[in-house]
Amino acid sequence: MQASYKNIAWTMLKPISIFSGLVLWHALATHVVNDATLLVSPLVVIAKAYEMLFVTADLYPHLYASSWIFLQGMVLATVVGVPIGFLMALSPAVRDYVNPWMTALYTTPRIAFAPVILLWLGIDLAAKVIIVFLGCVFPILINSFYGMRVVSREFVEVGRSFRLSRGSLFMKILLPASVPFILAGLRLAVGRGLTGVAIAEWFGATEGLGYLIFFAGQTLNLPILFVGVAVFAILGILGFQLLRVIEDLASPWRKELLVK
Amino acid sequence: MAGPVLELRNLTKQVPVGGQEPFVIFNNVNLSVKEGEFVSIVGPSGCGKTTLLRVVNGLMPPSSGQIFLDGKELTGADNDLVMGFVFQGASLLPWRTSLKNVLLGLEGRKSAKEAEEAARHYLNLVGLSGFENHYPHQLSGGMQQRINLARALAVNPRILLMDEPFAALDAQTRTFMQLELLRIWWQTKKTVIFITHMISEAILLSDRVIVFSHRPGRVRSEFPVPLARPRSLDIKSDHRFVELENVVWKQIEEEVKAAGGFARL
Repeated sequence: MQASYKNIAWTMLKPISIFSGLVLWHALATHVVNDATLLVSPLVVIAKAYEMLFVTADLYPHLYASSWIFLQGMVLATVVGVPIGFLMALSPAVRDYVNPWMTALYTTPRIAFAPVILLWLGIDLAAKVIIVFLGCVFPILINSFYGMRVVSREFVEVGRSFRLSRGSLFMKILLPASVPFILAGLRLAVGRGLTGVAIAEWFGATEGLGYLIFFAGQTLNLPILFVGVAVFAILGILGFQLLRVIEDLASPWRKELLVK
Repeated sequence: MAGPVLELRNLTKQVPVGGQEPFVIFNNVNLSVKEGEFVSIVGPSGCGKTTLLRVVNGLMPPSSGQIFLDGKELTGADNDLVMGFVFQGASLLPWRTSLKNVLLGLEGRKSAKEAEEAARHYLNLVGLSGFENHYPHQLSGGMQQRINLARALAVNPRILLMDEPFAALDAQTRTFMQLELLRIWWQTKKTVIFITHMISEAILLSDRVIVFSHRPGRVRSEFPVPLARPRSLDIKSDHRFVELENVVWKQIEEEVKAAGGFARL
């Protein structure tokens, strides 16, 4: 009985957290700041979002534009990052060759590349996708690399004692053991990828959520600015949820192992 | 009379240590195991018995010496699956169900149907029918080691190598697993090399007990176990069992002392 009360309390915790945060925000906006050029109530933001979604419908082009470059950047980063990470784990030569460049590119702030990339590729889709790609590829690459490197020696020996071929050893031992790490890399990449979207669209774009926020900031249109930020947050949450579904499908054996 | 299934001749393993004498793990091991024989190797901790088993299985190359299986010398290039290896700890693949774990050595070597039949047969043999779709973390330690055993047996190996398979189990489960292994061995009559540090376990299970010296390990002595099969726990009170246990213990104690005392273990 007591346990079920506890369960209800736990499931209520998230909505309570969100609701109390919004109440605090509202109070802050209407009673403390009280200046619509600095902060607006969440109610205003929700009303604006409703309008942009269902009345004027002018949020959609921005949403599509941003989602599209985000998705392309993520997919490209996965397709490039995972194999390079694996190759680095399996071959010391590849590792030594790639490592200095990877470290340099990973630690340099991406925003420093953005003007150069836009200069080279123009402000079209390719340049933006590349900026998102640069944000996403390193966490994916590094996690794939470590995932494959830290595969328990015992599992590898099991494979060898059963005389698996090199291909089988990869497919049946190394790859499944790395999946949780790759997914963790993808999850990190979601945040960095969305940052990439914002950066890419700040530099001379004509649509997209980043452009919307930038434009709203320039014109002190706070309701639109907050709608843009909120949509970014929702995209991030959706990305995480999608990855969770993929994780459950890809490694059902882990579901019960995770600490609640 | 056919020759031995497995024969080790002057098998030595050492690992190089930078600038110093190489570190000798075991030295000049000679051993021959007959068809259907259950041989245990006991010895002080760190005597190289586990490394010996790994070298025999081809997980690492010997430094010198030869390994013969059915009279044919095994070389590193050999890739036939002739040995089943039962590992010490959590060696089941966590992303595979019981059935899939047992299938690991069968996939690609048999048709899918034959492989699954064999896997189910061996799961049944180790008493885990009905657990085909469980993942390792859903099973107890004893059950996991049963699957480990089924996985090694399923490839129908010429010889079964067991590396302290019950070391991580609690005392009760361990005793039950010993009895289970007696039963399974009685049904399969596999040739087995069994590594353990537990003398009573070695005697209970084996036809012959090999005592290893301290490092660098070598065969110090060997004792046939004069107890009839099928065996039960009752033989533990048989005077021959008790005497053998004492003799082997004395020898291991001597080895530990020679190695610098048990504080160095």
